[in-house]
Amino acid sequence: MAKIKKFFRYENVGILFVLPAFLYMLVFVGYPIIHNLILSFQDVNAGNLVRGTKNFILFDNYLELFQDSVFTASLWNTLRFTVLCLVFQFIVGFALALFFSKRFSFAKPVRGILLVPWMIPITVTALMFKLLFATDIGIINFLLRSLHLIEKNIEWLTTPGTAMFALICANVWIGIPFNMILISTGLTTIPKELYESASIDGAGKVQTFWRITLPLLKPTIESVLILGFIYTFKVYDLVYVMTSGGPVNSTHMLSTYSYKLSFEMFKYSKGSAVANVLLVILLFVGVFYIRATTEGEND
Amino acid sequence: MKKKKLTALLTAVAMMTGILSGCGSKGAESAPAEKTPAADEASSEQESAGGENGGTAAAGDAQPITIWYYWENEGHQATLDQLIQEYNGSQDQYAVTAKYVPFADFKKQLSIGASADELPDIAILDSPDHASYVDMGIFEDLTGKFDVDNYYEGTVNSCTVDGKLYGVPFGANCLALYYNEDMLTAAGGSVPTTWDELKETAKALTTDAVTGLAFCSVQNEEGTFNFAPWLWSTGATSYDINNENGVRALTFVQELINEGVMSKECINWTQGDVMNQFIAGNVAMMVNGPWQIPTMQSEAPDLNWKVTLIPKDAQYASALGGENYAVVTGGNVDGALDFLTFATSEEKVKFMMNQFGYISADKTIAESQFAQDSPYYPFVEELNYAMARGPLAEWPSVSDAISLAFNQVITGTATPEEAAAQAQATIDGIVK
Repeated sequence: MAKIKKFFRYENVGILFVLPAFLYMLVFVGYPIIHNLILSFQDVNAGNLVRGTKNFILFDNYLELFQDSVFTASLWNTLRFTVLCLVFQFIVGFALALFFSKRFSFAKPVRGILLVPWMIPITVTALMFKLLFATDIGIINFLLRSLHLIEKNIEWLTTPGTAMFALICANVWIGIPFNMILISTGLTTIPKELYESASIDGAGKVQTFWRITLPLLKPTIESVLILGFIYTFKVYDLVYVMTSGGPVNSTHMLSTYSYKLSFEMFKYSKGSAVANVLLVILLFVGVFYIRATTEGEND
Repeated sequence: MKKKKLTALLTAVAMMTGILSGCGSKGAESAPAEKTPAADEASSEQESAGGENGGTAAAGDAQPITIWYYWENEGHQATLDQLIQEYNGSQDQYAVTAKYVPFADFKKQLSIGASADELPDIAILDSPDHASYVDMGIFEDLTGKFDVDNYYEGTVNSCTVDGKLYGVPFGANCLALYYNEDMLTAAGGSVPTTWDELKETAKALTTDAVTGLAFCSVQNEEGTFNFAPWLWSTGATSYDINNENGVRALTFVQELINEGVMSKECINWTQGDVMNQFIAGNVAMMVNGPWQIPTMQSEAPDLNWKVTLIPKDAQYASALGGENYAVVTGGNVDGALDFLTFATSEEKVKFMMNQFGYISADKTIAESQFAQDSPYYPFVEELNYAMARGPLAEWPSVSDAISLAFNQVITGTATPEEAAAQAQATIDGIVK
């Protein structure tokens, strides 16, 4: 009896609380990751998915991938896409957050409306942008022509360089509300008194921004950027609907290329190797995120 | 304090049991699906077991048979449903149900199902993928069980691997050239039969608002399907592209784009998109399949169009499409065979094909299926020139190399010669 009592001491009860979540993670997160890792070290294709031996070829899949020009291009594409999207989303989102932190009539309803892009399903957004950027019937070409900025229609989605531009535009449009709302929340946590005493001390608008707003927002900014990075890096549906990785593989991301290898070409092991590269990069960012947020707590 | 701990403990236990029972019920749900395959080794005892499990799927003692298909067309779904109802009404040993899996997910679902052991008893799948799944070992050998002597050779080839029959053709289709007759008359053109005539006619039909020709050139199987007629017409094969013939096919497509008679946007247009552009009057001629006809007739009843053979370079050619029935290994094979015997009888095939706007894979049925003035009739003629893609387990990779080649040429990122050489290098790496 005493032993049982001892077992239910406070710390042990804590373990029981964590246990459900731990088991959940183990089954639904841990197992797929480990299975995927094993798959990427094997040579599994249509021929031996169900029967036959699955040979271990260790790092051959990865070595072959890094010689595959489509893979290296999609790795580079994903990085480029993520960084460019983050920069524009963040700057515009920040500016809008500062703007709507001012009290003026309609500030709240307008800010609410600006959240719409975040709420629309991505497939719908992707189809919308596909039509906006269409060569002959797209409204963007129509506007540019009406303003006499271009003579001939630009083939946005059928030329490698501009297709990436169109994707970035679409994703920035989706991402702005996310950045805006998180930074807005961050702004409300800054005590008003700081601004008051700063203005009494004679600080200008620019000075208050650099000396008060920005430093106090640092934890928020870190979270926004890192979450944004993770969210953008694993983009899939937007690209799949708008370009499917084309034209000529020029907009493949790691996610779309992994899907293509696995489910269109039946190269399951290679597809999972690509997914693992994606995972490793995101793990790095994730560790960085956890460190950044826990540091904030310790302060 | 003690009470608090106890409550906490109880909550934790409650949560745990919640999770465990969640798992438990899930396991119980999936159990019948696993049990059913065992039930097909028919003995009275196992049959009753099948009946128990089938309780949710159908009433009585019938064993459940599931079918996966990918037709999004409502008419197709209703027709299949009608066939199944008739079958279920005609006997009480089996109860067939069908499940719709979107085309884009179909390959994925079959792959996942194969590795997780959760497959249907019958799959109705796209014919070029058939060989890959045979290679995967999930389809039953049907040699000698169905009489396919009278079927179009290409359709039988698509489900034959190493001389063994692994499926039954469901229906056949192929690509042909649609043209807008009013536009053609207005431009004073005639129906083209050769590539040169086609290009000339397309030029005559192209205006500010209309492009002369369109065919789906998406960089996937759908695009390869539409490029194949041009490639094969020169005498080139899918595996032998880096030669005069292959380059000529690619050059022809390049010229269509460069001379403005075909829109570059074809690389983003599915066959459905192409059809929509055609009935909207933005495109004067298109390459497409017979399955578009019911939609075209209902969406644009006043549009005046006709169908003809795809113009030729050296010989007439078209790509064969369509679905095959396949019986899944480890499923209820006897039940699946029973249903297929019912579904492939002449009467049922006729009913299905006419409702679907498909052409029967059975030559005798196909030839008497349509009147000479029916828009479907040219497709029956075109079928004589239609060839199957593959059949090859690695066909998806070959197809990828081919679709990359014409996409490079259309977007101008490579010359026809470069694209052909690159595709050949990839294909040689696959087909040794």
